Parts: sequence; C-alpha cells; structure tokens
Amino acid sequence: MDLATLTSQLRALGEEALPKIAAAPDLAALAELDVAYLGRKGGALSGLMRGIGQLPADDRPRVGVAVNEVREAVEGALASARQRTAQAALAARLAAEAVDVTTPGRPIARGSLHPISETISRIAEIFGQFGFVTYEGPEVESDATNFQMLNIPPDHPARDLWDTMYVDIDGGLLRTHTSPGQIRVMHAERPPIRALLPGRCFRYEAVDASHASEFFQVEGLMVDEGTNLADLRGLLDEFAHAMFGAGRATRFRPGYYPFTEPSVAFDVGCLVCGGMGCPACGRTGWMTILGAGMVHPVVLQHGGIDPERYQGFAFGMGVERIAMLRHGIGDVRIFLDNDLRLLEQFR
Amino acid sequence: MRVPLGWLRDYVDLDLSPDALAERLTLLGFEVKGLERWGSEWRNVVVGELLTVEKHPRADRLSLTTVDVGAGEPLQIVCGATNIAPGQRVPVALPGALLPGNRAIERTEKMGVVSNGMLCSGDELRLSVDGEGILILPLGTPLGTALADLYGDWVLDVDVKPNRGDALCLVGLAREVAAATGKVARFPEILLREDGPPIGEVLAVGVEDPELCHRFVGRRVNGVRVGPSPGQVQRRLLAAGTRPVSNVVDATNYAMLELGKPTHAFDAGAVARDARGRAALVVRTARPGERLETLDHVERVLSPETLVIADENGPLAIAGVMGGAASEVGESTADVIIESAVFDPVSVRRTAFRYALRSEASLRFEKGQESRLARIGADRVAELIAAWAGGRIASGRIDTAPDEPVPARVGYRPARVDRLLGTSLGPKAQAALLARVGIATEPAPDGSGVVIAAGATPRSVAVAPGEARGAVVPTWRRDLLIEADIAEEVVRLAGYEAVVGKTPDTAMPHVRPNPLELRDALRRALVGAGLTEVVTPALVPASAAAALGWPVLAAGGVPGEAAVDGPLVTVTNPLSERHAVLRRGLVGSLLDVLALNERHGRGDVAIFEVGKGYAQAPDGAPAEWWRLAFLVTGSAGATAWNLPARQYDLDDAKGIVELVARVLALPDPAYAPHLDGAPLHPGRAARAVAPGALAGLVGELHPSVLAAWDLRAERVLVAELAISGLSAGQLVPVRVAPVGRFQPLERDLALVVPEPLAAAYLAATLRGAGGDTLRQVALFDIYRGAPLAAGEKSLAWRVVFAADERALTDEEVDADVARLVSAVASAHGARLRT
Repeated sequence: MDLATLTSQLRALGEEALPKIAAAPDLAALAELDVAYLGRKGGALSGLMRGIGQLPADDRPRVGVAVNEVREAVEGALASARQRTAQAALAARLAAEAVDVTTPGRPIARGSLHPISETISRIAEIFGQFGFVTYEGPEVESDATNFQMLNIPPDHPARDLWDTMYVDIDGGLLRTHTSPGQIRVMHAERPPIRALLPGRCFRYEAVDASHASEFFQVEGLMVDEGTNLADLRGLLDEFAHAMFGAGRATRFRPGYYPFTEPSVAFDVGCLVCGGMGCPACGRTGWMTILGAGMVHPVVLQHGGIDPERYQGFAFGMGVERIAMLRHGIGDVRIFLDNDLRLLEQFR
Repeated sequence: MRVPLGWLRDYVDLDLSPDALAERLTLLGFEVKGLERWGSEWRNVVVGELLTVEKHPRADRLSLTTVDVGAGEPLQIVCGATNIAPGQRVPVALPGALLPGNRAIERTEKMGVVSNGMLCSGDELRLSVDGEGILILPLGTPLGTALADLYGDWVLDVDVKPNRGDALCLVGLAREVAAATGKVARFPEILLREDGPPIGEVLAVGVEDPELCHRFVGRRVNGVRVGPSPGQVQRRLLAAGTRPVSNVVDATNYAMLELGKPTHAFDAGAVARDARGRAALVVRTARPGERLETLDHVERVLSPETLVIADENGPLAIAGVMGGAASEVGESTADVIIESAVFDPVSVRRTAFRYALRSEASLRFEKGQESRLARIGADRVAELIAAWAGGRIASGRIDTAPDEPVPARVGYRPARVDRLLGTSLGPKAQAALLARVGIATEPAPDGSGVVIAAGATPRSVAVAPGEARGAVVPTWRRDLLIEADIAEEVVRLAGYEAVVGKTPDTAMPHVRPNPLELRDALRRALVGAGLTEVVTPALVPASAAAALGWPVLAAGGVPGEAAVDGPLVTVTNPLSERHAVLRRGLVGSLLDVLALNERHGRGDVAIFEVGKGYAQAPDGAPAEWWRLAFLVTGSAGATAWNLPARQYDLDDAKGIVELVARVLALPDPAYAPHLDGAPLHPGRAARAVAPGALAGLVGELHPSVLAAWDLRAERVLVAELAISGLSAGQLVPVRVAPVGRFQPLERDLALVVPEPLAAAYLAATLRGAGGDTLRQVALFDIYRGAPLAAGEKSLAWRVVFAADERALTDEEVDADVARLVSAVASAHGARLRT
C-alpha cells in the first residue's frame, strides 16, 4: 500500500458514499450508511485507516489530513440528510394529522346571573364609587316601620300609594318598599351616611305586564350637614349616565312621598325614541326611573338624627324597571318566571 | 282626575296647546298621565237639519226623514225615534261613520226604503245619557259642522297627589295653571235668588258628634222639577267621567268636580219633620243594629263607628260615603235638602273601607276639606239646582260652625330654604315665587320660632331676629305646615331646573363590610360551573310549602345562619292561593321553575337560587334566613358533537357542594347518609356538613315528589345549604401553607370491603391510622365483580405521605401502609386486594 493508492481509495470511498447518502430514503437507511462508512469496527473508513500504519512515517500526516477530509464530508452529508428526512417525516406527520378546523369548539358550560341580581350589582357598583355602602333589612316588617316611622300615620290617605299584604303576625306586613331600611340605617350609623339598601318588596297588586306583586327595589340614603337637593341631582345624573349612556338627558319634576320633602321624580330621556315622543314614553319623551327627595324632618327624627343640624336625601328605584329599560324587556312578569330561554341570554 | 279643557276654561284663560299645558302641569307636580281627544270617536258625524219627517210607508214605528247636511242633496234617512220634527238640528252619522263602541254606520235598506245614515241619540254618541230620543241640537248650530268640532274637547288625565286634595277639582287645577302661566284664576261667581221661606222654618240640623262632623251647612230648595240636566252639563260630566243622572244629582256632582266639595241632596219629603214641621236631620254615629239600604240598593248593617245623617226614624245616609235609597232624589221629588258638610277625614276613610264603598266623594273627604267649602258648596249647589231644576231657594243657611279659619302663618328661613335646595334664590325671589300661588310673605314676628317638624313629633327652633319670614298660607293649602313644605313650594314654582346638580363633596362615610359579598362570589362561581341563577317568588301556595316537607333544620348547625322550624308566615289578604304563604325553603320554587321549562320542552336544567326562608319564631316574631339551593337534571354540562351527553347524577350535585366550599374557603364537606327519605330518594340522599361552616341536604328527589310536581324528569338532583356568612359575611383571605421541599411518596391501596360499608367510614379509619406524615387519602376507583365475591366491593385509594423537614424512606412508608391495612382490617374486615 502506498500513499497514492491509499489516497485514491479514500477519494473513491467519498465519491461512492455521498450519492448513496443523498439518495437514502429515511433515517434507518442513513443509520446503515453511517455504520457502513464510519463505523469503528468494520466501517469502510476504518478499514482504509488500518493501511496508514504501513506507510512511511513522513507520509502519514498527509494521509491523516485526507482521511479527515473524507470523514467530515461523509459526516456532513449524513447530518444534512438526517435533517432533510426529519423535516420530511414531520411534514408527512403534520399532513396526516390535519383536521377540519371549521368545526365548532367543544362547548364549556356556563350559566348566567339573573338580571335582577346583575342589575342590583351594577347599581351598587355605580353608587359604590360615591362611597355608598350596602345594607339590608328584613322583608317582614310592621306597620310602624313600614309606614308610621316614615311619616305615614294610620289612616293617612297617602296609604293608597301602597297596597299592602298583611301577615298573621300581630302588626306584621310584607314591606311595600325598601324605605324602612332608612330608619334602620339611621339607627345603626351616625352621619355622614351614604347607604344603599337593595331587596325584595311586596304589594297587593294585580300582576300584569308592568305590575308585579313581588319585586325588587334599591333604596339610597345620604345624610350629612348640608347635603342638599343639588347633591341629589348631581348624583342621580351620574347614575343615569353610567346606567344609560353619557349623553342621556335627565330631569327632575315634582313628586310626592310622605317621607321626603321636597319630593321629586327623576326622569331620563326616553330610551326608545330618545326624547322625540313615542308610545313607550306616553309621547312625553321622558321615562321615570325613580322617586326621591330630601328626607322629611320627621323621618330624620325617627332615625334619631337632629333635623336642624342634618339634611339628607333618599331615593328608591325599581330594579325591574331599570333592568327592563337597560335590556329592552317589555314585560315585568319574565323576572320571576325564570324561562331559561330568556335567562340564558344573559350569559 | 279627568279635566276637560273646555270646562277648565271657565276658571282660567288657556293659551297653551294641550301638549304644552300637560307638560307645564307635569313639571308643577300635577303629572298628566293621559291626553285624550274627547269626541275623536265621532267620525263622520255632522250637524243636519230635518227637512221632512213622514211616516215610513211600511212600518208604523219608523219615520222617513230628509235631512240637509249642508252639502249636496238632502239625505233620506229612516229613524225610529219619536221626538223629531222638521226644522230641528240633529247629529247625523253619515255612511262610513264610526260611533263609540266601534259601531259602524253604513247605507242600509230598512223595510224596503234606503237609509243614508243614522240620526243619533245622545247616548249613542256618549254626549248624554238619553237613549230614547234623537239628540236635538240648538237651533243656531251651523249645518254640516263635524260634531267633533262642535263638542269635541281635550281631556287631561291629571294625577293629583294625596296631599293636594285642594287641587282635586277644576278650580284648584285652574289655580295651578294660573301659577304656571301667569294668568288669573277665576272662582265661579255665585248668584242666589233666595225667594223661598226662611231656612229656619223648613230645616233643622243637629250635630251630636262635632269631632266627626266639623261643620254642616244645610240649604233647601222647594218646588224643583227633576229631569235631565242641560246638554252642556251632561257633556261636561261625561267628558269628566261622571254619568249624568238628573238635574239635582248632576248639580252636586258638577259642584264636586268644580270646587272639590262633595255634597248630598236629600228628598225632603222622605225626611221626618219635627214638632215645628221642619225637616229635621241629625248627624250622629249609628246605633247598635241600625240598618240602611244605600243608593246601590245594598242593605247594610251599620257598625257603631259609622257616622250617619239620620232623622228621627233612623239613618238616611252614611256621612261622606253614600246616600240612602229611601231619601234618594227621584222624579217625584219636589223639595230638596242640600247637605254640605266637613266630616273627619279618618272617620270617612275608615267607613269607606269598612263598607268597601270608596267613592269620588269619600276620596275628597279623606284628604281633608277646607271648612270654607261647606258654605260655598251649599250655595253653589243651591244655585245650580234652581237654575237647572227650578224651585225656590230657602233664604239663609243652617250652619253649625259658621266661623271660618283665617290663613295660617308658616315661618321659614330663606337661607335654610336655599340650603336645603342647594340654590341661591334669596328672600326676594322666593317671595315672588310663593306669591304665584297666593302665598303672601311678611316678616316673622320677633321671638317666634320656625316649625321644622309637625305631626306626632313636632319641633320648633328659635331663630335670630330677622332670620325668618312668615308665609301667609291660603286656607285651602292644608299641606303647607313646616319650613320644608315652603321649600318644596319654592322649588316647585321655580322649576327643578333651578337646582343645578353637583357631585357630593361632603365627608365620606366609614367603610363597611358588604353584606352581598359572599353571595355575589357564590353566584359567580356557580355561573362559571354552568348553573343559571333564578329568582323566584317568596310567596308560595300553602299546599306546596307543606307538600314538599323539606326539613329546614337539616340545614341548621351553622352559626349565625339558623332556620326556625316554626309556623309558616301566612298572608291574611293574599292576591291568590298561589301566593299565600312565605316559603321556608327554596327547593319547591326550583321545582316550579323546572316544571315551567319542561313545559317549554326543556329537559336539561341546571339552576340555583340564593334566597330566603321565613317562619315564625317561638315568640311569634318573624324569622328570615338565607339559603343556597340548586337543582340539576338531564344532561350534565354542555352537549355537542364533540362532547358526548352524560346525565347529571348525585356525584355532580356533591361536586357542586364541594365547589361552594372551595370558593368560600370553607373546610371540605363530609357526607353522611340521610335515611329519612322524603322528599329525597332514601338511598341517594346525604347530609353534607363542614362543621360550623356548611350544612344541608343533597340528593336525588323521591319519585313521589316528581309525580306531585307533574315532572317528566326521571332523576332530579337538589340541594339546599346553610352556609356560614351567607346572610352578611365576608370572604376570608386564603392562608397559604408552605410548599414542602421534599418529594411526597404515594401508595395505592385497593381494599375489599362488604358492600354496605360507606366509603366515608373507611376513609375516616385510614385518616385516623395514618400518623403525622399522612397528607392525603383520595378515592380513585370503585370495583365490583369477579374475582370479588357477591356483596363485596373494592375501594381503591391513593394515599400520600410527606414530611416538611426530611425525605421519607420507602421503608417507613411501607410500615405506615401496613399499619393502615391492619387498621381497616380490624375496623371493617377490609382486606387488601391482590
């Protein structure tokens, strides 16, 4: 074996191996070629290298360089062939795994909050930004707390405003409004008071599209030195804008409640016609959303608060009324019916 | 109150459109709830003149007329009335006309003769109550005029609030219109020709109970001819919603609508006379056993609190509420006694409620009557009777309390008024506003206080000299008593736009816990878990509350959330039997919701409610408590092509209970069999308890309950839970346990036990025997069947051991497991499945 022979055999090995590697179909074939050419035992390159020992010492380094060149060429070819076949295999796998991406996803069950509790939460959130704190009172009240403490004496003609359901407990009745809570809060707290009282109320009232015998109200109460009607107006404007949109027109007009003086009704521009006048607003362009007023001095006294020092306002709104306007609901009866076809629209 | 504008014009000039007037009144506190075009029903009805009236050729009772309607050829019209004659002007409904009650008029043939329309009676047009004859119009009525142009009017429906009884009449509303428009209100001018005998010779009145009858003014008109009222009076009354009766009765109703003063007319012939031959009335309370047939022809037994107008033979009328049939004015009445009294408002209100006889009259008495009106009302009614029914008015009046009150002075501080309103109107502007409703102002006398609260708890405060002014309140304004009332009057007249809103800038209150916090967190978690919130009526049928028999105390044992097992709270005046008692539990209501949705074809239902239970405590006081209840049935969760359907079962329900505990950071609930059965499946019901934090029942409903509710569902899972803090509690912050540094070791144990052994007991034994390092015992499989014997089951548990400060060795864990196995072997006869 001389230098020239060995060198040509090395070159021939390279020329034989590289096309085979390029043509190898898969990783297994490449592994076979790897062993056949580069294997330590029995590999073609190893076989040639055994001839190096027979060469003169001076020639050996040159042969070593040539061997390394061939080895690197083969190794490089194997590596790029492996990458190529891996990519092809991956592409084949991905192609085989294709699905119809246009089908709907797997549904995740979710219920819905009832519009009454959702609306109460929204009201509480808005007034909460002005420091109003939530309280609750009982639903079975007495004539004293539901009426008399609120400046509605027995046999007062204003009682016609509240048709009342009585219960078989002495003096007991189902509260007709959340207003008894005003007295409870005044007894529990000292001014400054900013209170919100949501809850269920009852009236002896025939049920139709706009009347319910059970319904929900949110009462508001604010008492401090100097709290006045302008504060009430400003606060209710903020509320109306938050609930019904920033551009919503609002107005105060006189109202009547025995427990407020002065009393007001608070109207917003009709949510159906925007104020032009339509059947929904009785052609007035306005919709009443709540009643309010400055707390009557007698009521402050019943709450243990000096009406000479303190002033306050109160308001009461029907939760269903707000929800009906907000969600475009035309019939108050749906709230306690709980038809899931309707409730689930609130998801 | 219905207000015909044509009538209102008698008392105030109107130059606003009806719409504009309605808005002004609304902004003044008299909300106009409706605006009706009276007469809009008379389409194609015009004024015609009868040219000829002849007998119908083929029908004796019909007439054949020709009518000139001002345009075109005279029309031939067949008519059945007998009061017609040539030259009369009458209302003619032309073909195509539509009369009240949607009665269409067409060209017809009557007994072989063509009729080109119809001559109308007052009743057919709702212009009078006369249905017999054709309505004969005044001679000068222009031919061809549409009747709607002639008699049509705008009618406002005005909501007069209970505190403004003074404005429950045309004069009162005219005052308000005047205040709103700057016009002057005109009070009707009363001109009496008293050409009858002196009143003292023909009428005597005694008031036994002046507390209940503050004033009684009596007048008498002799020699009346009772008949229909003039057409205009009938038209006005009808437009105002009052049915004309006769000239005498209409006079009282007319005066009531005009002045707000209810009066009553008695047939003097039916009133007993005293020794001097005078009709003698007495006002007193009813005596035991007395009876009266009222105008509605109902015989009523009078209670002793009832105030009556009586003669010596007994009651003639219930004071302020309704007259009696025996003394009713009728066609044969010759002499009339007019009663114009002021009765005690509370007495009238109670009496009207007692006999379920609330009338326009009693409503006005209830609101309180100005004393002056007793005199004015008597005069006005006498004048109207004489004008419409003839007769001679007896000279003078009987008057039991002729002194009339002077205007009251109400002190107010202009600065306080502005402080309450948040305005800066000042004394001058306030005085000018008050003057618009006839309230004069004057300096308050030095040393006089200002009344800031009246009624049962009056309060007067001292003021500095010059600080207060006095408002001189007209006698009819009985609603203005305190300073705040004056403030309201000021802002009402200024218009509420004078109040410029601002956000409150006073001190903020203290932070307080939100009582809804826990309930809201729970609601959101359950919604996320696929349940829909429902809100159901608290009032349920008595039968449903009893039928379900849900053991309310099963959800007891949670501090602060106790229920009461007392009697139901029952409504004494329920709207219907369906809403008669307050419920003690929520499950029945959820079944109602399921039933409703099943009727809509919906079988998959997952709902919850956070609501109250109610009952009477042993001391008779009402008790209310909060509970969470849920119901699931049908397919669990969503179903879709890529999600196979699975039916809800007890494990789902228990999973929801556990979710609740987790969301609220409560201890894990444990379950014990609830063997009491009804209303639950005796083998599929558990009492769920996390001590001190959660308690309640969860289970499958008994088939008998499903049948009672008429439900189609086969399996319905329900739960009702008491939860700590549900009434007003707060979410507690999570306390974090350190994550151990050392890897825990797990072992799986399949334990073969007798079938009846509840898993919870086995788990309890495992936990008890586990030692310090046992961290978790979790069931992961239940197996029955070969090679196990019948009556055996295998419960497979994953047990996890760990220590905080060191790594455990396999050897010590193996020893722990051996201890567990021997513990369950001795406690339950369990063996390891190999």
